[in-house]
Amino acid sequence: MEGCEKYFDILELPYDASVEDLNRNYNYLKALYSGDAIEITALNSDFSNEISRDYLARLDEAYTKVREGMENRKTTSAQRKVEMGEEVRQWLRQIDRFDGPLLKELRCRMGVELEDIHAVTRIQPEYLACIENEGFSAFRAEAYLRSYLIEYARFLGLDSNRVLADYLPRYRAWSEKDRKPDVVEVGYVLTKSV
Amino acid sequence: MENSAHNSTIWAIGGGKGGTGKSFLTSCMGTHLAMQGVRTTLIDADLGGANLHSFFGLNAPRHTLADFFEKKKPLQEITVHSGIANLQMIAAPGASMESESINHAQKLKLFRHIRSLESDNILIDLGAGTHVNTTDTFLLADRMIIVTSPEITSLENMYQFIKSVYFRKLKAIFKTHGLTSLIQDIWKNRSTYGIRNLKELIGHIRQSSPQMRDIFDQEMGGFVLYIVLNQVKTPRDIQIGENLKSICMNVLGLPAIYAGYSRYDEGVKDSINKREPFMLFNRLSPVVGEIRTLTDNIIAGTGVTVQRELRNGGL
Repeated sequence: MEGCEKYFDILELPYDASVEDLNRNYNYLKALYSGDAIEITALNSDFSNEISRDYLARLDEAYTKVREGMENRKTTSAQRKVEMGEEVRQWLRQIDRFDGPLLKELRCRMGVELEDIHAVTRIQPEYLACIENEGFSAFRAEAYLRSYLIEYARFLGLDSNRVLADYLPRYRAWSEKDRKPDVVEVGYVLTKSV
Repeated sequence: MENSAHNSTIWAIGGGKGGTGKSFLTSCMGTHLAMQGVRTTLIDADLGGANLHSFFGLNAPRHTLADFFEKKKPLQEITVHSGIANLQMIAAPGASMESESINHAQKLKLFRHIRSLESDNILIDLGAGTHVNTTDTFLLADRMIIVTSPEITSLENMYQFIKSVYFRKLKAIFKTHGLTSLIQDIWKNRSTYGIRNLKELIGHIRQSSPQMRDIFDQEMGGFVLYIVLNQVKTPRDIQIGENLKSICMNVLGLPAIYAGYSRYDEGVKDSINKREPFMLFNRLSPVVGEIRTLTDNIIAGTGVTVQRELRNGGL
């Protein structure tokens, strides 16, 4: 985001700020400088209505510019998801079932990093890795896994329904078999500590 | 200014308004420094309103700065012991002397002698107001500390004080480059230049030529104010310090560090009335910890950061 430094300065943000930082600081500064806190009122003519209006206009402009910049950055990386080469497409055609290792191989063939998926979907890379190595215990409930899977599949340009249909039964099988001792253990720990 | 022979660090504690706790904080910061084994000297520069000695339970000392100015006594001879190891103090004259009565030559001589005092830290407690003698003494310091309290009148006086200090500093900078009248001329005609406050004056000077920008950036590099908020009562009061950082930069064009705060405590008043050194007799008071923190922050050049969050949609 070249040339954006002055907007970051107005928003009192570091140049690597996140969208959350941006929103927080913008709302904060707006509330401070448009409000009637004593530290603002005490400025008297040094912060007249006219100066205040100018400042708030600059703040709004800075917010819009930085926000745009952040969204462009997102779409630039998001656009990469559609770039599935003919070679990968060929390989994908002979796949009959989606499981963790296969998703990982597909991702690697497409040259996509977990960080890239994280940048767009905001799903933590640890969870993405757990999808790929089928570390099911990382997911507290099927609903979490389900929504992560949908995002993951969409990012790679896959039919998310097909991925869900193949993948979720694997989780359910694990859950029926391996989940129980887990629950017992939690119960045991609880009883002990109570 | 002459080179310091003893490498002492000069702290000036100002803030424009009386009653915000400058003298109390000066006495406490000095005590904290001295208790860590640092040789510390406090100078009461509140001419006409001297009472720093009371915070140590001392009676008004016989020798004061008046002896330095009028009888040419060296500072060493008017220094008194505070009763706390490593902590000395120089008292201000009582009502007989006003800061207006000190001339320029006397002021320079005092600065020179302060610099050559044998002490690691020298803390100067300034009086209220924005007289040039006060602002010049403030600018002499290596650490410029502003004490204010969360009341609109304190804040107003603090802004006036900061502006006076900054204006004085700008004049001094441009004077050394043979441009004495420049700042005054621009400020006098500020409406024609579309300048509405100090921040815009700075912007105007910096944009006028690359040479001006270089002079300004070089001379103002490292210039920073430490803000201390005294007598805070609520979390919202604590937040004011954080807001002042932003306001100083945005409206006054000056960088500021929020060194810390110290809460309102009835125990402080009791301790002052009992003429006990607060830091020694009230170790369980949270105020002691808060003053230690803010003093250590000023030494390290760091500040406190308050989360910039809105409460109930407002500040």
